Order: sequence, then C-alpha cells, then structure tokens
Amino acid sequence: MSNPDAPTAGQPSGDAGKRTGRKESVFHRLYVGTGAFDIVGKRRRWYIFFIALVLVCVGSMVFRGFNLGIDFEGGTKIQMPAAGATGTATVEQVTDVFQQAVGQPPAAVQTVGSGGSASVQIRAETLETNQVADLKKALYDRFQPLGSNGQPSEQAISDSKVSASWGGEISRQALIALIVFLVLVTVFLAVYFERWMAVSALIALVHDVVVTAGIYSLSGFEVTPATIVGLLTILGFSLYDTVVVFDKVKENTRGLLGLTRRTYGEAANLALNQTLMRSINTSLIALLPVLGLLIVGVGVLGVGTLQDLALVQLTGMLAGALSSICLATPLLVDFKMRDPAFKAQAARVAARRVNLARKAAQAAEGGAEGVESTDDESLEEELRRERAMAAAASVPARTPRAARPSGKSARTAGKRRR
Amino acid sequence: MAPPAGQIRPGRYLAVFALIVVVLYALVFFTGGGKATPKLGIDLQGGTRVTLTARSPDGADPSRESLNQARQIIETRVNGLGVSGAEVVLDGNNIVITVPGDQGDQAKSLGQTAKLGFRQVLNATAATPPASDQSGSTESSSPPASSQQPSGEQQPSGQAPSGQSPSTQPSDGTSPQGAGGSGGGAHQQADPGSSSPSTPSSTPSSTPQTSSGAPTPSADQNDQVSQEIQQAKALRQSEDPNIQQQALAMLTCSTDPEHPDPLIGNDDPNLPLVTCSEDGTAKYLLDKVFLEGSEISNAAASTNPNGPGFVVNLTFKSAGATTWADFTSANVGQQVAVVLDTKVVSAPQINQAILGGNTEISGNFNQAEAQQLANVLKYGSLPLSFASSEAETVSATLGLASLEAGLIAGGIGLALVIVYCLFYYRLLGVLTVLSLGLSGVVVYAVLVLLGRWMGFTLDLAGVAGFIIAIGITADSFVVFFERMKDEVREGRTFRSAVPRAWVRARRTILSADMVSFLASAVLYVLAVGQVKGFAFTLGMSTVLDLVVVFLVTHPLVALTARSKTLSSPKLSGLGAVRAAGNQRAASRSTAVKEA
Repeated sequence: MSNPDAPTAGQPSGDAGKRTGRKESVFHRLYVGTGAFDIVGKRRRWYIFFIALVLVCVGSMVFRGFNLGIDFEGGTKIQMPAAGATGTATVEQVTDVFQQAVGQPPAAVQTVGSGGSASVQIRAETLETNQVADLKKALYDRFQPLGSNGQPSEQAISDSKVSASWGGEISRQALIALIVFLVLVTVFLAVYFERWMAVSALIALVHDVVVTAGIYSLSGFEVTPATIVGLLTILGFSLYDTVVVFDKVKENTRGLLGLTRRTYGEAANLALNQTLMRSINTSLIALLPVLGLLIVGVGVLGVGTLQDLALVQLTGMLAGALSSICLATPLLVDFKMRDPAFKAQAARVAARRVNLARKAAQAAEGGAEGVESTDDESLEEELRRERAMAAAASVPARTPRAARPSGKSARTAGKRRR
Repeated sequence: MAPPAGQIRPGRYLAVFALIVVVLYALVFFTGGGKATPKLGIDLQGGTRVTLTARSPDGADPSRESLNQARQIIETRVNGLGVSGAEVVLDGNNIVITVPGDQGDQAKSLGQTAKLGFRQVLNATAATPPASDQSGSTESSSPPASSQQPSGEQQPSGQAPSGQSPSTQPSDGTSPQGAGGSGGGAHQQADPGSSSPSTPSSTPSSTPQTSSGAPTPSADQNDQVSQEIQQAKALRQSEDPNIQQQALAMLTCSTDPEHPDPLIGNDDPNLPLVTCSEDGTAKYLLDKVFLEGSEISNAAASTNPNGPGFVVNLTFKSAGATTWADFTSANVGQQVAVVLDTKVVSAPQINQAILGGNTEISGNFNQAEAQQLANVLKYGSLPLSFASSEAETVSATLGLASLEAGLIAGGIGLALVIVYCLFYYRLLGVLTVLSLGLSGVVVYAVLVLLGRWMGFTLDLAGVAGFIIAIGITADSFVVFFERMKDEVREGRTFRSAVPRAWVRARRTILSADMVSFLASAVLYVLAVGQVKGFAFTLGMSTVLDLVVVFLVTHPLVALTARSKTLSSPKLSGLGAVRAAGNQRAASRSTAVKEA
C-alpha cells in the first residue's frame, strides 16, 4: 500500500526537493505542492512572533482604544449628493448652511466617493426630527441636489439618526453571538476532530479576533456595527481554513502510533505543506471578492457598510490564513507531544533514524520514502462502498493499472513516461 | 473504457440540478405575479427605516406577546400613513419599520405610546352599510368586507351604529341600570343619533394647532400626504357646526386599506373631531379630548357580575378620576368615546355619575373583546414604550448608487476570481466559472422566492454577504482541485484521481461549510440589525455552494476526466504536477539504484 511519494516532511523531503527541483522557483514548488517549508520545526520562532503581535494588539486596545463610529455614540448623519443644480457643494458651504439651520456647528463634514456618486456627508450630535427636516430644507434651498432622475429634489438628501444605545445593543448581541458560536464550534470540532485540535483551532480563532481588533485599534479605522459583523464572519472563515489543514493532519496521522516512519510533528508539517497551496488559494480567492468590495466601497461609495465589511474581512482573512498555517498546527503538535504515547513514538522514530543512519546512505532515503497518508484503507473502503451503492459508478472506473497503484507499478509507470 | 452505466451517473447529477433550476424558475415566473426581482432593502431602493427598541419600565425583556401586539398597532399606524409597501417586523426586542420611497419621514414618529383619549360623543350615525352581524361592541378587529358602497345607500340610521353600544357605570355592580343585567342587550339605548344632542354644545376655545404627538411634516415634503392631512383637518376638525355636519355626512368610513384615513394618528386633541368607529360601522362627531389615556391607572377584563359575558373594569389616577367624575356627572345619558389613533374603539353610554374613578364598561363583550379593550385602555395604544434607536432615510439616489456599487463590487470580485481560476486551473477554471455561474443562477431564484415567501429583503449588507460568499463557493472548488492535484502528484492519472480526490475533498468541504454555516446561523439568530441580512445571504450561499459542488462541479469534472482531449495536461494544467510526480518517482528510483 505504499504510495509513490509526494512532498514529505521536513528534512527528508528537503533533500528530495533539492535533488529534483534545483531550478524550480518557490512559486513552482508551491504550485506543484513539492515546496517543503519546515513550519512546525521552527514553531518557536512563530510563537514569539504571534505572542509579540498579540501583545502589541492588546496593548493598543487597552491604551489607544477604538475609533467608535456614530452608531456607538449616537448622532445624526446627513448625506447629500455633491452635485446640485447650483453647482457642486463644498464642505465649507455645507458647514455654513448647517450652522445657520441648526444653530450649532456640525461635528464633521466631508466629501466622500467620486464622480457621479460623490456626496457630502455631515455628522452631528443627535438632532430632533424637525431639526433634521429644517436642515434638509435649508440644504435643498441652497444646493438643489440632483435626484436620481437628474432633477433637483429634497428627497435626494439622506439622513440617519442613531441613539447612543443602539451600537451598544448591536455589540451586546454580537458578543452573545460570539460566545454561542465559540461553544458550538468547540463542540463541533471536538466531535469531528479531537480535543487538542479543537483547542488549537480555538486559540487560533481568538488570535484572529484579537489581531483584527488590534489592527483596528492601531490604525484608527472607524468601528461600526458592520465592522463587528464582519469580525464575526471572519471567525467562520478562519475556522474554515483551519478545518482544511486539520483534516489533512488527521488523515496523515491516522495509525501513526503504530509506525515509526515519522513523528507527529513531521506528519503535521507534511500535512501543512500539502495543504499550503490550498490554504493560499482559498485565502486568495476569498480575498479577491473582498478586494473588489473594498475598491468599490472606498472608491465609489465612500465610507459605508461595504467598506467597513470589506476592511474587516480583509484584515481578518489575512490573520486567519496566517494563524491557521503558522499557529494552529504548531500548537496542535505541541499539545499532542505532551501525550506520552506520541512522545514514545517520537523516540522510536528517532531511534530508528539513528539506527538507519548508522547503516547506510540509503537509510536516509528510506526515511523519506513514506506513506503519504495512512488512511488509504478507509479511503478505499469508502470508494468501494460508493461503487457498491451506485451499481453504476458515479465516476469512470479506473483502469486496472491505476486502480490501486502499488508503489512499484506507479514507479515503473513514472519511469516509462520519462 | 468505463462501463456504459457509469457514463450516465454524472449526467444524472446534472439532470437533478437542472430540475432544481427549472422548478425554482417555474416558481419564480409562474407564482406570485411572476415579478422576477428580489425584494430590495430600503438602503438599496431608497426609503425610511426606523428601528424602535422596546423599553419596559422594569428593564426586563418585554414579552413576545406584547411585542407582537405593539407591532400590530404600529403596523396600523404605518398603514395610516398611506404609503404602499410599508412593513413592520419584529427583530429581537426591536420593531423595525421600513417605508420605501420618499414618503416615509413621518414613520419616524410612529413609535409613541399614548394616543388614547376620551371625547364626548356629540353625534353618532351609521356609516356605510355595516355588516348586519356586527356586534355592537366596536371591538371586532377584522374590518367588514362590504364597507365600500357609496355612502348614499346608508341604512336607516336607527339601527346601526350604536344599537348595542356598551354602557358605562360605576363598577360596584349595584347600579340600577346594570342590575337589569341581560348582557349588553339590557343596556341598549335608543338611537344615539336622536338621544344625543345633535348640535355641539359649545365651540371649544381655539387652541394652538400643534398637537403634542402628531408628526408635523415639513412644508413641501410629503406634499400629497400632508395636504391630505391638512384638508382632512380643515374639514373634520372644524369648530364650525355646519362644516362638522357636512363632514359627518361626507365621511364614508371606508376600511379599504388602499385609502386609509389620512387623519389617523394626526388629529388634534384640542379640536372637535369627526371620525369613524374602528370597524367602520359608525361615525361620530366628537368634542375635544377631555381626558387623556395616560390618566388611566388600570384596566382589566373580568366576567360580568350581573350577567353573561365580560366587562372591563377601569380605574383612573386621582386627577383623571376627578375629571372623569365631573364629566360623568354632567353628562349622564350621553355617550363617551374612547378614541385610539383617531378611531373610536368604544363609545359607551354613561349610565350614572361615576365619582370614585372605578368604572365598569359593560356590553356584549366576549372575553377576547373585553381583554382587547382593557389592553387598549391600559397601555394606551402600545403595550410597551419604545425608543427610536435608529432612524434612517435613504434617498433613492443614494440607494441606487449603493445598489450599483454593490453590483460593481460583485462584478469585480467575480472577475478577479474567474481570472485567477482560469490562470491557475485552466480547464478546471472554466468549470469553476461555470459552477459559479450556475450557483449565481440558483442564488438569484432563491432570493426572489424568499423575498416573496418570507419577506426577505436584500440590503447592502446582504449584497456584501453574497460577494464574500463568492470566495467561499470558489474555495470548495479549490479544495477539490487541490486534492486532485495531490492524487495526480502521487502518480495517478487525471481520470483515476477524480473519484479518490472527490471522496476526500467531500469530507473537507462538508466540514468546512458546516463551520461556515454555523457561524452564519448563530449570527442570524442572535444578532440584530443589518447583521441579519448579511448572515442570511452568507449562510444561504454556503448551503447552495454544497448543492452546486455536489450536483455540478463534481459531475462536470468527472465528465471532463473521461474525455481524452479535455483531460490533456495542457488544458488541465496538471502537467507540471504530473511531471513533479514523475520526477519524484524517478528521483527515488534513481536513489534506490544509487544505493
């Protein structure tokens, strides 16, 4: 049942990589999946990096705080198309009109968006409904903003009023949702994977939240309810990524204790490398639409829901991808290695290596040649079941040669093709 | 080479998917009017959204029941604004009012609690022919269906409005009138049209026009509606007896929801009022409000101690009790109207002076009717007080701009993903594009149908949810394809790699989507506000992603793998991987040879 080799763990496959792919770039290695990055082996470095990152983020949150949006402090926001029948409204003009109509200066006036959808946005303390009506009328009289049909219309002016408690309410609900989600996810992961995987995934998750929040604090981006929503959804994404990696780790380490080919850490690192391109691809592909969202949110609409959501997703996804690769798996390995069974197995592996090294150069290669995944039997069984269930196979039957390639036949096949 | 039977299978999956699409689109086009556009939220089409948060006095969570009751009442008020497409929905402890279009500014003041008042009935007549089986108590909440006939066809006024108008009496139960006791029938009075004085006793002193609660629409905004209101006020709140009579004659009391009474909730309590009973069966000329609903300290329904049916027991606060005592003393034999949101809910007859403030309203009530009247009296109109948490008016311009921006963002995102997939996966990328496209087709249909069936509205956050879901959907393909590359790298052919990769990828896709769905579901259930739309679209896309991956992508890949031309390494982009696999194998065999 030994399969032809694929990327292998740490050192050994490094050898193989050197041997076979001297001219191959990192990208090529990534693409074909033969790139071997010893992430688990260098985990201490990563831990230091993550600890420093989290500390900086927490520090910033504590000392700098957040730039909370209107929804958290309460207030009124008016938005009006900049283009009007009497020309383009400028920030100064709008401020003047506001001052006259309301009797107090606005908190902030800015022009957002560009081109035809450019608009002027006014923020102020909470205004009464009739004050808003007066203000809208004054703005209309002065600027004649153009409505969607190109005619000046008072209805072209948008307003929103938020009470100070609303943002708090949203945050409170979001926090409840976060806790419920964490509990459910822990249960799910513990059932689907195993205890330590659940723990590692959760730590990575907490890291993602802290780092995303920290980046918001550091950069001073405005925090709105949409931001908090976005923060919650990156949890899903971050886990998605971790689940993909752990799925492979689980596959690679099935029955590991009975073998002396590689330690848990090496098997996990192998899984990491095997899923590396997948992780990068999924993250990249998930990021591309978010990027589109951000471009449009910032460039066309100016500030708003789209931008808030996109920004937090962008940050969170990057953090999530990084943590699922560089934090979750190393943590898992460390947790696992506390288990005496795995320690003993690692010792056996080491002993065998030493043994082999003493013998011959071939021995080292022997170490590299390994089962790439140990769940082949279960896979075969599943495939068989599938075939049995559907009398007609859902997929073309494989040719006898490829049906269940033993290491040997595949090797010869490879040779032939060469 | 594959067994013939095997060739049918992918086709079967695709057929199932095609069937789903056909069924969905049949539903879209042939049910519910066939308008194939999803329901847009007000931030995409323009309009007003008001979020009212319930604030119970003791800080406890308000009961579902009272929230629902409040929702219904606010809905009535919103309908009273005369704008089409307005909606009132419950969201946690919040009531969210959405009014599309430009006419929604008034919705911002709909959340007030007390709009209940007592007015003296100066004149009452039948409205357009009432349904004959209407009970005298004016509580029935369902408007009669047959109320749209011309007002000329009025029935003889002797019968109608008040035949069974409930009576009011001190609640000690010993009043001689009450003792007669055969339910409401005993309290029936003669036609109030003749028994009440038909001329207003005195013209109320003129008072400032601004009412405390009524929204005052700004001058040239909501032109039509505000004009209607002004006209209605001029006519129906006039202090001139002649105009009052004219208004009374003209009033049709139509309960047609298309043409609601513009005055609802906007009447001036300090002026007389010509209005209808709640069920549209009677119309009244009422004096100004002499007692506000806020003066009621308690109201409860109980069984009638003197006969069958139920009564409502009413107590007033001290100041209210005094006013009430004065009024009932001076007006024994007259009717007093309980006016809620400009409509007369009940117009009991005053049987005797009620001095203690404890009042019993009897009539032909059944329990539900009595309870409802008690609730109305006790809570004003709303069972809870509400604070406006968020009030937002989005102009149609901004809405359109947002919609466009959302679509552009989606387009850019999709294009980027497609380019990347084509570049990276070549032929498989084409399959990705196809799958994404089909996924979009299904998503759109589901969106339209959900908007129709459960009122799901797509707002800007929802659009963002979809855009982000593009990535998640594509991720499933990536997981599958990368698994395939693993298999090919191990030396398998494209063909043989597909089933193995699928079985393994399926597991990963299922668990990953499960987590993603879990996040969305939790968010949808627990979060408030716009979050819901976002969570909903994200969760829905996740589920549909599974449908597409199982029914489209995998069968398509299987079909492709079967074709010699299509599965060539050049097209599939798997050549390099294949080569790597070979190289690896070769290098090892070399190594073995070396050894």
